[in-house]
Amino acid sequence: MTAIPVDVADFVDTHELADALRVLQERGPDVTVLAGGTDVMVQYLRGDIRPRILLHVRRLAELKGMEFGARTTIGALTTHWELATDARVLRAHPALAEAAATVGGRQTQNVGTIAGNVVNASPAADLLPALMVGDAVVELTSAVGRRRLSISDFIVGRRSTLRRPDELVTGFSLEPLPSMTAETYLKLGRRRAMEVAIVGLAVRLALTADGRVTDARIAVCSVGPRPFRAHQAEEPLIGSRLEEDAIREAGERLRQAAAPIDDLRATAAYRWRVLPPLLERAISTCHERWVASQDIEVDHGTSTVGQRGRERSRRASAPDPPGRAP
Amino acid sequence: MPPHRTLLDVLRDDLRLTGTKRGCDEGECGACTVLVDGKAVDACILAALSVNGARVETVEGLAGPNGELGRLQRAFIEAGAVQCGFCTPGFLMTLTAFLRGRRSATPDEIREAIAGNICRCTGYSQIVEAVQMALATR
Repeated sequence: MTAIPVDVADFVDTHELADALRVLQERGPDVTVLAGGTDVMVQYLRGDIRPRILLHVRRLAELKGMEFGARTTIGALTTHWELATDARVLRAHPALAEAAATVGGRQTQNVGTIAGNVVNASPAADLLPALMVGDAVVELTSAVGRRRLSISDFIVGRRSTLRRPDELVTGFSLEPLPSMTAETYLKLGRRRAMEVAIVGLAVRLALTADGRVTDARIAVCSVGPRPFRAHQAEEPLIGSRLEEDAIREAGERLRQAAAPIDDLRATAAYRWRVLPPLLERAISTCHERWVASQDIEVDHGTSTVGQRGRERSRRASAPDPPGRAP
Repeated sequence: MPPHRTLLDVLRDDLRLTGTKRGCDEGECGACTVLVDGKAVDACILAALSVNGARVETVEGLAGPNGELGRLQRAFIEAGAVQCGFCTPGFLMTLTAFLRGRRSATPDEIREAIAGNICRCTGYSQIVEAVQMALATR
């Protein structure tokens, strides 16, 4: 039998949002919100967290479902599996779908939620870089009102967010991929499954018909206390035609923006070393996808470049084994 | 029922359904995989209270009424996909969910489906073969 935690919490099962918000208003500081539980239950059973109340929100219908319009709205309880497999997410938010597909195994993806991944605010949270390049906004609801914060503002540090104790994350809104734009999420790990990212990198690129970059967004995880958008690294790409120099400069700036640590998965030196080639690969994947989408829009896929674009690999493999960095 | 009691605790200790195994006990190895409302989950990190009212299927439910093994179970034996057997119930449950409503699967799709299940004896080739065998005999 599982060891008994030092403090046994009360389990409060809620069926309506208003009930959950009332509990948070009255007992917020004592509450840990429980949805899929893939992080919270592990932390609770280990004794890492000692909530007085576990507030079960999994049954709240108000937090389920997705809508696709001028902005995409994604309910807080949407699972990784739903994100990874929903055709509309794959089309409008491919980086988010790719990131969700890399979280744990099928068992974790079936129950783990988008809000759980975000609120847990792990330095290695796969969904965060993808949400950041999608310009995501977090919706926070309390008994007294609702507010919206950009995802980059919301995540303030390692496992730290701006959620107030009386608030519940109820959903997200994102900018769907515009035309002439492509994005990807690449995750570097030692193996392809059940892995915590050594480095995770999301890139979104918008290009004109003749190949000039009009917008570039780069976000990373596992190279600092919190996932972040690397604005300085984006600048050299904007206005470029993805020349070697521009990509090299972006990679160098990405290295400068990173503050990785040594941990059991890789050394800081290795993480610094792989950032530029990983960025280059992500840019190349975006470019191939952009070319492929041009194909479909313009000449229905007859060019050889477009063919290559469709044969892109979806996952990164390590350029060098971890730990061999100079 | 206190909240730290997991679905795995209830299955094994209260209901004495010990076919579901306790491996890593932290949602990494998949030995405790059961189906909740048809979906594969790790029972070791699921609060039992959170699945109140749900339909739970365990490996005990795979055999027929007279104890005859199911198609996937027989394929596991034929393919040599079982050695020590500790991971087997978890694989069987993950794959039961995967195979429902499915007529075919590529080896890559099968490997992806079992990414959350770890085997330290036979390796995965025989397990993938067993799934293909089960599909072929449908």
